[in-house]
Amino acid sequence: MTAASAPAVSRPAGRRPGLAAARLLRLELRHNAMLWMLPVVIVLFWLTTYRKAMAMPPLWNMRTASMQTGALIAFICPVVGAATWMGSRESRRRTVDLVAIAARPRWARQLATWAATTGWALLGYLGCVAVLYGVTAQQATWGGPLWWPVAVVAASLAAMSAAGFAAGTLFPSRFTAPLAAIAAFFVLALSTQPIHGSHSYWQISPIVTGPWDAGNRADVATFYPFLPDLAIAQVMFLTGLAVAVLGALALPAGPGGRWLRRPAAAIATAGLLAAGTAVALAGTGRMDAHGMIAIPALHDAASDRPLRYTPVCARTAIPVCLNPAYASYLPATAAGLRPVLNEIAGLPGAPARISQAAPIYTQGPGSSIGVGLAGPALSGVPPVYHLLLSGQLDGPALTTHELAAAMRADAGPSIVASVMHDSGGASPAQHAVLAALMMTAGLPPQGLSPGIMPIGNSASGTLPRGCQASGARCPTVRSSRAARAISELAPGAIPGSPAYAAARRFAALPASARHAWLVSHLAALQAGRITLAQLP
Amino acid sequence: MTAGTARQTPASEAPGRSARAARPLRAGLRLARLHAASRRIPAALAAIAASAVGLRIALIGHWDTYGALQLPLVFETGAAAAITVTTASPMGEPERVTGRWLPYLRLAAALALTAAATAALAAAGTGAHLAGGTLDVLRNVAGITGIGLLCAAVLGGGLAWVGPAGYLLAGAYALYTQWHHPALTTPWLWPARPPHDLGGAACAALVFTLGVSAITLRGARDPAGEAA
Repeated sequence: MTAASAPAVSRPAGRRPGLAAARLLRLELRHNAMLWMLPVVIVLFWLTTYRKAMAMPPLWNMRTASMQTGALIAFICPVVGAATWMGSRESRRRTVDLVAIAARPRWARQLATWAATTGWALLGYLGCVAVLYGVTAQQATWGGPLWWPVAVVAASLAAMSAAGFAAGTLFPSRFTAPLAAIAAFFVLALSTQPIHGSHSYWQISPIVTGPWDAGNRADVATFYPFLPDLAIAQVMFLTGLAVAVLGALALPAGPGGRWLRRPAAAIATAGLLAAGTAVALAGTGRMDAHGMIAIPALHDAASDRPLRYTPVCARTAIPVCLNPAYASYLPATAAGLRPVLNEIAGLPGAPARISQAAPIYTQGPGSSIGVGLAGPALSGVPPVYHLLLSGQLDGPALTTHELAAAMRADAGPSIVASVMHDSGGASPAQHAVLAALMMTAGLPPQGLSPGIMPIGNSASGTLPRGCQASGARCPTVRSSRAARAISELAPGAIPGSPAYAAARRFAALPASARHAWLVSHLAALQAGRITLAQLP
Repeated sequence: MTAGTARQTPASEAPGRSARAARPLRAGLRLARLHAASRRIPAALAAIAASAVGLRIALIGHWDTYGALQLPLVFETGAAAAITVTTASPMGEPERVTGRWLPYLRLAAALALTAAATAALAAAGTGAHLAGGTLDVLRNVAGITGIGLLCAAVLGGGLAWVGPAGYLLAGAYALYTQWHHPALTTPWLWPARPPHDLGGAACAALVFTLGVSAITLRGARDPAGEAA
């Protein structure tokens, strides 16, 4: 067979556009800068997100919110930089004229490059999320992964990649990639600065996971379902942005002609409309009573129903019951309250159960947020004392030992005071009995133990940000006052006073004698008919 | 012409001697100018100036604590990234082989641009509340530039920005952890250390020295055929 007689082999690639596109994508995946960024991104994710999430309690909502913000910060510079770098590739390699005569439109080639960059970024991101969620699944005692925040970050990566790619295409300079990467971080990290209150268009920023001034709170999406309203608006905005940018890439005159530019213009316009609508929707958001952003147009009323759960309880004199998500807090909480509960168990009017309650959020003036109980702390028949755990309140993160001490110093006095009916107009005898019970429970008479921060106080020693403007309604104000010292709990029982002496005398009684006296005299004590002299 | 006649120097050649003496200086200046043009150093200076102007404008605004602390770092990183990008060579191997003065030119360019960036950013903070002050600017710009120069030696000048951009994220996070557990206090994350901290300054100085040394001796690792 001669060369002339050999059958000509034709490759009808043009007749199989899907196959050709897949081959182009495969080539782009193999020669993409984002692939080489993955080690950098993984290290940054570990440093900024994984470590932080692992330092948090194993609560899905907290770790997911932390993941959304952290992953965005970790990925933004590498993804935008790599996309910009890839966008400027043809100019950098001086192949613009060479590839301009290729059969495929320039837009198709650009989309393949962008898709490859975004694909590697998404692969790295999903791998990081899988590790974080896998570890959390092993540690969490209740609940399940939240997927809307994962979708927000994925949409953000696609949008950032599109923006970076467009920047690289339009300004193919060696300075474009670093400047675009750093500018993207600047815009993202500081996009929350204009947010004041929960009614802000800037909540569309993908690093916002809820009411910005409330921070990452432990109880959100624990007692009530996670509200995806804001996440839906964010995904809509980011997808619209990505579509608009990618559509705009086909608008400059070039190969493809008018038949390509018209649909591209329509796509870009649709993307802009979607993004604009999402921003408008985010501006209508309000913080609901459960600490999440509700957008009326996207809100599902079914999300307002509380989640059903079987509480986990400790075997104390009065059972202490928590949401199963907080099961890891139970031993410390029970240990902190046990001395107090031993004193009041069996007394008339004593709570039958200490039960963790869902907090109610209220938006105060400006950026302030109030957190409190929906009703009185002690209510119901039989009476149940509703407890807000320290993890539900503002304040520094506590170790198990600190949590136990804080519960003893904060919730303990409040529980006893509710049984004694101790309030502003209480009698000296009531103050004395309260002080005595606090002494027997181990609360120091002159103040808290060194290093123990009252619940509700921030690290600076001032009241939490949310309580500064809404003091009267804020339970943390009451909590921090109650936790100061016996002398502050019972103002009439300051050291040296007759009430203090009576308290010491009462506290010195055997527990059984003290308890028996309280059972028989508590009603009179609550009514203010007992004098200091009548205390044993 | 014989050797004897050649030794005689006519009076008319006296000005030519001074011209010959000036020639190396002029040639040196021309070499420096060409090197600067090939490395886009004027554009880098413009980027540094833009960073300084941006910082000045940003300092006029009212920021919360996070913003006030992280803002200077963003602009310092921008200036450092611009410096590192200038290490990319458009000529590659031929220049390496024939350029006798190349190491000195690379050293001079890196030092001059770092000094210019520090001066510009410090000047931008004059009269405003610049978190950390001039010492912070000096340490951060030098250290982050060192990271970028090391990246240029390993990855190439075009991709050298990866180091500064990645370090920006780590540094900003380290600043954030000053208020949020678990805190990052290692001196290798010097943006989170106080301006007078010796450990942070030593780490930044070490990285800068290593980066400048690497770029002086080896230059950026630039792939052939890649326009810079």
